[in-house]
Amino acid sequence: MKKLVAIAAVLMLVMVGSAIAVLAQGYATQPADAKIVPLGEEGTAYENQEPGVQGGTFYCAAISDPKKWNYVTSHETSTTQYCFLMLKGLVDSNPINSAIEPELAKSWDVSEDGLVLTFHLREGINWSDGTPFTADDVVFSFNDLYYNEDVETDTRDILILPDDTYPVVEKVDDYTVTVTLSMTFRPILNSIGAPILPKHALAQYVHKLNPDVPVGTFNSAWGLDTDPAELVGMGPFMVESYAPDQHVTLVRNPYYYHYDANGTQLPYFDKYVILTVASQDVSLLKFRNGELDALGIRATDVPILKREEAVKDLTVLVDADVAVYGTSWIGINQDIGLADGTYENLRTLYRTRDFRAAMSHLVDKQAMIDTLYNGLAVPQWSPVSYLSPFYAGRDYYGGPVTETDAVVFEYSLDKAAALLDGIGIIDRDGDGWRDYEDGTRVEMELNTNAGNTVREGVSLIVSDRASKIGLKLNFVPVDFNTLVNKLFASTGEMIVLGLTGGNEPNNGANVYSSGGGLHFWHYSAVDEPTELEKKIDELLDAGVSTLDNDEAFEVYKEYQITLAKDDLGLVYTVNPAFTYAFFNKVGNANISSPIATPSGTNGLTMDLCFFK
Amino acid sequence: MITYIIRRTLYMLPLLILVSLISFVLIQIMPGDYLTRAQMNPQITQHTLNQMKARYGLDKPFLVQYWLWFKQIITKGDFGTSFETMRPVFWTLFMGDRLMWTLIIASTTMLLTWLISIPLGIYSATHQYKPSDHALTFFGFLGLSVPNFFFALVVLWVLVAIFKVGNYGLGVGGLFDNRFIGTSWSLAKFGNLLWHIWPAWLVIGTSGMAGLLRYMRGSLLDTLSLQYVQTARAKGLPEHVVIYKHAVRNAINPLVSMLGMSLPGLVSGSLVTAIVLNLPTVERAFWSALQMQDQYVIMGGLLFFSLFLLIGNLLADILLAWVDPRIRYS
Repeated sequence: MKKLVAIAAVLMLVMVGSAIAVLAQGYATQPADAKIVPLGEEGTAYENQEPGVQGGTFYCAAISDPKKWNYVTSHETSTTQYCFLMLKGLVDSNPINSAIEPELAKSWDVSEDGLVLTFHLREGINWSDGTPFTADDVVFSFNDLYYNEDVETDTRDILILPDDTYPVVEKVDDYTVTVTLSMTFRPILNSIGAPILPKHALAQYVHKLNPDVPVGTFNSAWGLDTDPAELVGMGPFMVESYAPDQHVTLVRNPYYYHYDANGTQLPYFDKYVILTVASQDVSLLKFRNGELDALGIRATDVPILKREEAVKDLTVLVDADVAVYGTSWIGINQDIGLADGTYENLRTLYRTRDFRAAMSHLVDKQAMIDTLYNGLAVPQWSPVSYLSPFYAGRDYYGGPVTETDAVVFEYSLDKAAALLDGIGIIDRDGDGWRDYEDGTRVEMELNTNAGNTVREGVSLIVSDRASKIGLKLNFVPVDFNTLVNKLFASTGEMIVLGLTGGNEPNNGANVYSSGGGLHFWHYSAVDEPTELEKKIDELLDAGVSTLDNDEAFEVYKEYQITLAKDDLGLVYTVNPAFTYAFFNKVGNANISSPIATPSGTNGLTMDLCFFK
Repeated sequence: MITYIIRRTLYMLPLLILVSLISFVLIQIMPGDYLTRAQMNPQITQHTLNQMKARYGLDKPFLVQYWLWFKQIITKGDFGTSFETMRPVFWTLFMGDRLMWTLIIASTTMLLTWLISIPLGIYSATHQYKPSDHALTFFGFLGLSVPNFFFALVVLWVLVAIFKVGNYGLGVGGLFDNRFIGTSWSLAKFGNLLWHIWPAWLVIGTSGMAGLLRYMRGSLLDTLSLQYVQTARAKGLPEHVVIYKHAVRNAINPLVSMLGMSLPGLVSGSLVTAIVLNLPTVERAFWSALQMQDQYVIMGGLLFFSLFLLIGNLLADILLAWVDPRIRYS
């Protein structure tokens, strides 16, 4: 009996010891509610991936340093790329197929009217410091941070509903949260996925919860001088150290709740180092020198790396069919001179739909793709990003090009000239340049931000093609801030620029709705929208008020066609294709998903990569 | 002399205030402000923009902004907060070891440049119009005229594409190879630092050599034509004594004042090289503040550079008095 007790005691000790050893190594035991990523499983988004092995340090490069560690108050990607590695939201979109997936919430129910969402949180998962995650963290993030007027955050603007109210977040019990809306809002799952922050670590900085600190203290919390050990998150990696202009070192979160189907905890890498390399030419050299494991590259880098593919055992991933998120366009200011009654001829011209159609025919997209992107770009016609599930172009794009069944305005000097002839813009004095009806020459200025070589190239190509049919378009590059000022003051004539984009078409509402803050080509629409703009407003409303994605797709299809074919508020140009290079020793790097960090490292899939 | 130094130091204050005022006006003349970029974000509403404008004080007239900033300095010694990092401006500029690295990189480069170009200048002057003189001048000017960013890129490219240093486990750019990140100091780490710094010495050094070399050459040639040098030669002194003991000592005076004046170059002379070679310097922080129009960081940087310039000038004058007994300040 004594022997048995002794053996049992020894066994117990061994078990406890190995449990401690496992924890000391940084691997927590798998919680019951862990998220299983089905790598390599057929029929899932991950069927082309494979389960990996733990270990190793991964190196890549970013163009600039982080500015702080505080997601809530950050405004730009050089900071948020680190925050997204450290934090998780209730739900997130899958980096491969864009479907909304459970994250901190393991499941959710939607009430029949779509106004109440009930999120069931994962139980037994922990923050990176070992503190259990509960509904309090969720309620704190929304009610005390994002909705708190003392806190400077643009996430508040993403959460706001079209009727100017916010989703109400309430705790039901420790692992249940309800979100109540005042109106049906289909994209709610996109915006409600904002990162959740740890109440136990941050409540001390919020004046509302801790009156000892002054108002606004939170805005400077978690700055670059904060000891990284104080940062707490739920994401795959946590910041370990930071050297200005040199690197940020991240280390695996020992409590991360993602596991592969074999029961191996993610991420696979022990460490993840992001070097700050300000020059893209130098990051290319560093990659070729073997110092970086992966690199987001420019189209012009592709030929150099392609030559070295076999020798250096690397892969250049070029997906010419996958354009990066965002839109590039020429804005034609229909309000030019409206404030002081000048530019009357030009304003009338810019407000003529056929003129804007003629401009669309002058956009020589193939020349732009060939000369500016080495052939690695796609023509763009829609306000919705190419990778969005709501992108309506696949049927149209590349298909038959006629005015009736497609919205593609192919490059055609003849069609452009015919349209201009049709609206009475013809050469009246025989000097080779087209004139208004009163005989004065049509002369326009095209601006873009100086130093952006691609936009400068686009501008040059457009003004060159315009000159071929006698349309005088003077290209004047200006400083970026001057350009933005022109845009908002409605003093620019034509402007070549781009905007960021994502999966959700409604995120463009601030741009395309008649009252939108970025409706810069026709600000006066806020008081007197055109019939088409009214239709676009209605379509935008219809797109968010249905919960049926197929119905929403039909709505957005009409929205895109109306904008691109009839309204032509913006004339679209081309968008670069997704280009990315990695050494073949990196497993699971073959996901062409531009939902990536600026460093081009497939940001959201970093936790799946491993060294073979 | 001491009263002179005190007086010069006191003069600096009104000068710095004037510099700050002019800088502030210039920042206001620059189109846009820190929030211009945020304006272009489709997801930021006007309400939030207005809130931010008010929080940063950017909604006030510029003289009011200047006065509030100035008052803060006098009453609290607070030079303002960076909009981007929400930290004090000098913390933002000098964060980490930026100031130390800036001084280390710049002073070693300067030392090397001087150690090489002064003897070369002397050689050039004593071999006037000989092929070697022309060759030195040619290479000096070549170094001066090749743009630093280009030269730096070429050096890195040669290392990577021609010498394939990656095969020997060596990295390019930055301060250390990846394997030394987060490790403590060792001989190997120091050696690796030297490996990463020599391109900076080469690129910044060659751009400064031509000037120094030609100054030294010209100054020495002037001196050599003076009568006392002829006297020294006439009384039969060996040539090296004439040159090094009599001529060079006098010829080097103008260069000593140049040494003082190159002090501001220590903190603000190598931006482009630092960007390409990925070195952590104060100017890079200043440059990024300029791009973002993080206005108080720009102000802090300008004041810091101006202060260095003023101190440099003062040092130049003091050094000059010290090496040249004919100069006296009262």
